Amino acid sequence: MTSRHHATDETLMRLAAGQLPAGPALVVATHLATCPVCRARLAAFEAVGGALLEEIEPEAMPPGAFAAAMHAIDEEERAPAAPSLPARSRPSAGRGRAPSTLPGGIVLPAPLKECEIGPWRWIGIGVRASAVTLPHDPSARVTLLRVGPNRKLPEHGHFGTEFTQVLVGSFSDEFGRYMPGDLSEMDQDVEHQPIVDPDGECICLAALEGGMRLTGFFGRLIQPFVRL
Amino acid sequence: MPSADELNGLILRIARDRDRQAYGRLYRHFAPRVTAFLRKSGLAPNVAEELTQETMLSIWRKASYFDPARAGASTWIFTIARNLRIDHFRRSRVVEVTESEMPEESDPAPSGESMLLTSEREARVRTAMTALSDEQATVLRLSFFSEKAHSEIASELGIPLGTVKSRVRLALGRLRALLEGET
Ligand SMILES: [Zn+2]
Ligand SMILES: [Zn+2]
Repeated sequence: MTSRHHATDETLMRLAAGQLPAGPALVVATHLATCPVCRARLAAFEAVGGALLEEIEPEAMPPGAFAAAMHAIDEEERAPAAPSLPARSRPSAGRGRAPSTLPGGIVLPAPLKECEIGPWRWIGIGVRASAVTLPHDPSARVTLLRVGPNRKLPEHGHFGTEFTQVLVGSFSDEFGRYMPGDLSEMDQDVEHQPIVDPDGECICLAALEGGMRLTGFFGRLIQPFVRL
Repeated sequence: MPSADELNGLILRIARDRDRQAYGRLYRHFAPRVTAFLRKSGLAPNVAEELTQETMLSIWRKASYFDPARAGASTWIFTIARNLRIDHFRRSRVVEVTESEMPEESDPAPSGESMLLTSEREARVRTAMTALSDEQATVLRLSFFSEKAHSEIASELGIPLGTVKSRVRLALGRLRALLEGET
């Protein structure tokens, strides 16, 4: 699948800098899983981090730090810690149950596999949602949305950037048509009215930046899942 | 100052020979930089030092995962420190899901852009950064390294918020144009 709507430079820079909150970071990671174009751009921004690390004014470490570090690797060699495997291959403590019905036999994107995924809940005519809980940040709010064909969502603005990754089906709004693999990033100043395309239901993963401001359409959608 | 290739070589020696001397040289080069980065990003000096030690120990442990075809030494170490900082703030680990950990099956044929050799890409990033205006470089550095919101950066620099935002956007756009070779 080839994406046509990508993460913005600013978002990828924040991800590279480690400054994107966990919820949006999960949505963007889901986009990256199928988008080599954005992965290459992210790698370039991470290289910006590397370059900034090279040119930074170094701060002296306290006396003894170097000896402590050499001592730590000696200890490490004597009694190696459990081999440090990449996070992905580590067995996951909180492996979530897959949502009871992911229509169309969709496979959960890799970044979602460690998340706990709640049951679908009816939250409006033709709209269901499921809360996604992140293993390392239970306070992050991410929602799977499943919206019927031709379903028109109310026009709304945002109180922070809204990140929406299409997994199945498609929707359109004033800014274009979003197909599987596409990421929609909507600024807080922007208003839009998404309409699911007629050929089938649309499942997407959404996160709103900024957390607790529960006005606005997605705010209301997410409200039932907010653990205040 | 060691070259990028020399730094890569030090990590490869650690991976291959558990080479303490190579580790020592790497430590002297990177520990003061990682600490400086962590302090600039708002951590207290003692926390920054602690996370720096953790970062350096991770390098020893994970040296065999280092792949200079994916990221150069500075970039790799930057991402380790960044991830430890994220963990420190008990945010999520999802940010770790970057190129290096992408499962192969979800990895369609790379585009021309992503086939750009890593060392070439990193060299181009550095060149591109020196081509930014001072103003652009300053907002880029501040927004990259510090947790500060754009509004705080604006008051720190004594310029309007809109100006900070547009400088960040311009800097990123310019960087991208330079990276894509449209100089
Ligand atoms: Zn993309
Ligand atoms: Zn929206």
